[in-house]
Amino acid sequence: MAQAYEAQRERLLPCVHCGFCLPACPTYNRLGDEADSPRGRLHLMGAVVEGRLDPASDAFQTHIDRCLGCRACEPVCPSGVEYGALLELARATATEARPPGVLTRGLLALMGRPLLRKPFLLSGRILRATGLAALATRVIPSRGPLASVRLALAMLDATRPWSPEAAEGRRTSESRAVPRRDRALSPGDAPPNRGRVGVMLGCVQAGLYSRVNEATVRTLEANGYEVVTVAGQDCCGALHAHAGRLDGARALAENNIVAFERAGVDFIAANAAGCGAAMKDYDVLFEADAAMSARAAASSERVRDVTELLASAGPRPGAEVRLSVAYDHPCHLLHAQGVSGPPISVLEAVPGVEVRVIVDADECCGGAGIYGLTHPDLGARIGGDKVAAVRAASAQVACTANPGCMMQIGAGLRLEGSSQAVVHPVEVLDESYRRAGFYH
Amino acid sequence: MTGPLPPRLERELRSVVGADHVITDPDRLMVYESDGLTAYRVAPRAVVLPASTEEVSEVVRLLHGADIEIVPRGAGTGLSGGALPTPDGVIVGTARMNKILSIDAADRLALVQPGVVNARLTEATRPHGLYYAPDPSSQSTCTLGGNVAENSGGPHCLKYGVTSRYVTGLTVVMAGGEVVRLGGAGHEASGELDLVGLFVGSEGCFGIATEIEVRLLPLTEGVRTLLGIFDTMEAAGHAVTSIIGSGLMPAAVEIIDKATIEAVEASIFAAGYPTDAGAALVIEFDGTEAGLDADADRAERCCLREGAREVRRASSETERAALWKGRKKAFGAMGRIAPDLLVQDATVPRTRLPEVLAEISRIGERYGLKIANVFHAGDGNLHPNLLFDRTDAEELARVEKASHEIMSLCVAVGGTITGEHGVGVDKRGYMGLVHDEVELDMLRRVRRVFDPGGLFNPGKVVPDAVDAGALPEVSEVAS
Repeated sequence: MAQAYEAQRERLLPCVHCGFCLPACPTYNRLGDEADSPRGRLHLMGAVVEGRLDPASDAFQTHIDRCLGCRACEPVCPSGVEYGALLELARATATEARPPGVLTRGLLALMGRPLLRKPFLLSGRILRATGLAALATRVIPSRGPLASVRLALAMLDATRPWSPEAAEGRRTSESRAVPRRDRALSPGDAPPNRGRVGVMLGCVQAGLYSRVNEATVRTLEANGYEVVTVAGQDCCGALHAHAGRLDGARALAENNIVAFERAGVDFIAANAAGCGAAMKDYDVLFEADAAMSARAAASSERVRDVTELLASAGPRPGAEVRLSVAYDHPCHLLHAQGVSGPPISVLEAVPGVEVRVIVDADECCGGAGIYGLTHPDLGARIGGDKVAAVRAASAQVACTANPGCMMQIGAGLRLEGSSQAVVHPVEVLDESYRRAGFYH
Repeated sequence: MTGPLPPRLERELRSVVGADHVITDPDRLMVYESDGLTAYRVAPRAVVLPASTEEVSEVVRLLHGADIEIVPRGAGTGLSGGALPTPDGVIVGTARMNKILSIDAADRLALVQPGVVNARLTEATRPHGLYYAPDPSSQSTCTLGGNVAENSGGPHCLKYGVTSRYVTGLTVVMAGGEVVRLGGAGHEASGELDLVGLFVGSEGCFGIATEIEVRLLPLTEGVRTLLGIFDTMEAAGHAVTSIIGSGLMPAAVEIIDKATIEAVEASIFAAGYPTDAGAALVIEFDGTEAGLDADADRAERCCLREGAREVRRASSETERAALWKGRKKAFGAMGRIAPDLLVQDATVPRTRLPEVLAEISRIGERYGLKIANVFHAGDGNLHPNLLFDRTDAEELARVEKASHEIMSLCVAVGGTITGEHGVGVDKRGYMGLVHDEVELDMLRRVRRVFDPGGLFNPGKVVPDAVDAGALPEVSEVAS
């Protein structure tokens, strides 16, 4: 604990209380209480470190827990306060003083252990494939004790694969048979070799969005990257770190560092913004660990969002996909990684795609892990505003680059009766390449 | 009286604004113990966050009935401690009153709630070809209600003037909860007493503005932004005098010293100021395109004549934005070089800038303090940033002494103790430097006209009379 306090004390010093972070904060904007602003939370963290506030107090527990962790406060901070790192330390302090709720504990236990995670996500896929998830969201009332179940099932249903033809408003005519792990073969001149890449498959991504992982591999290969299979990788640890379980996060992170080292890759490609942000911060996670810090830093250096790799390769254009796309920035890509252009470049590389960045695309969608389940009222307000902005863009598909956000926005759309698909940018590029015959 | 609110009052307040919008937990109240000036810390008894004029009125009526002090608060970004709580007072915050009520493009007016962030008003009016001119450096976060209270300025006030020039009407909740409307469109030229003008800059001591009508300006057609780089602050100061003396009318002239350049360049708002320079000037001209280049050329010649090492010109909107970002985020960026800072605010005649800056630097040396300067040079509005560590009580005492000397210096050369940050608590002690007892008494009396019981933001702006008997007869005014 003393060490956690020391790490916080150093990081709290740069905050001069200027308040520039206030209007960037989704919870402050909606609640108006400075305790729900970044500056207020930093003040509470400072009070705990100074010994003026009990970390078990309602004030500390409530306001630290209510933070979405979107880190929109970081890019507006002139002093460069490392809010994300501080939040994780504060969450560690908070959970040590008072254990988190059963929902959070259960989810962490599941995601941290492949033996539990895989059957859990498989049952999710069965619920999804049988249409039970979709049915249940229609029959469960929106208010009452089962509202959380309804939201969770809507999130699950939102992960169903999309139909590009349907989104374009066309009938499906051609066969959509893309072999599951097709290798990208490029007609004509082969692209230059851009390096060896291992793809971070993730836990939710691998379980519910395996098609995004497949599209990631194919589009990277089509752009000249050599993609290798990285065995032994695990959950990135972001869920644990965000919940203050820093030891759990470190155990998972170490597995990943070792696995990707062994694969000898130049780049680690993440297609979930949350995983990418966590892995780029492995250096911070291990900063006090002499044995691991250099390896963690080297690992962080190699992490790229898949759209960064694709954008630096062009990406090469494929065939036309006539779609209007409502794009929303994932917080962990925009704020945590400072990546805003590449996902849009990837979409714009597709002939026929019209990108519409939605209003307030830099604000959190309210996904934030299981925020909608742990904070139903506020989560629904934040999510409702996001869905309204997506719908106002009147595009054919919604698009963002993080599974949590895809599920949150997709669930919001479904609960409002819209069947609009929510896709990852690489899925659109992948469809363009498929039509161009890159995979035959 | 301090401590928890009477239970019945707390219940009534919750029933007016909603249970979640009254904060009484002492742990939570800690968050409100300072505004942008962290050298002072006082926790309030409660925080109430109303959402409408009616709610503010009811809240003020209840608090007034219980004889409880009221401290209005916007975003809590003020730098003179204007929103510092009183130990037996309640904060009435405007954060939930953040709606732009109407934009009248034809008449170039907007009606806003006090919690609207300054920069958001310009964002909302830009599609109509209009903008809100006063641009405090904290405009991305400070609220218009706070701007009204402090009569805020900003870099472009050199040409366009401060908040009071733009506020045309106000809805105000008075001490007893009465709602009054001051001014309003069409009333400006009527020749009646200018109560709006009196209210703007009253630092929360007269009442709470719950609706604000402001004048908007058409977006300027062209703009030229220059960056002059100097080896010394003195040379930069002379260049300012030369530019203004030459008859030019710049929209803004900002000066940034070496310590500030280093802080800004280390931040994510790095503007490309050369870190080995002794000082930099950001100079801007705006208006119709014709003549702008000629003005910029003349200003450039002024800089070069006073020894500028180099004068750059922003060639794109992105470059211009970067130059300004470095300036506007300077206060926050100071966190990179010291844990705490006290931003002073004083005004001196422009021609005295070079000698005053040299003397401030000597004061810093004498007290062993680092002082960074970044300010509105064009109108002689100084902002020395005194850097310190709050946990060092002895250093804090030196900061207070140095601050006092800087203020005395500014007054001695014919200046005054505030340019735009207000008096608050921080500069209340300096009021005697610029006002004699007759004037101070006049200020106290004006305050009592609006707030006979003295419940609005007590202890701010005007120092208490040395002799309590000199206070106006409260009961008489109240009755």
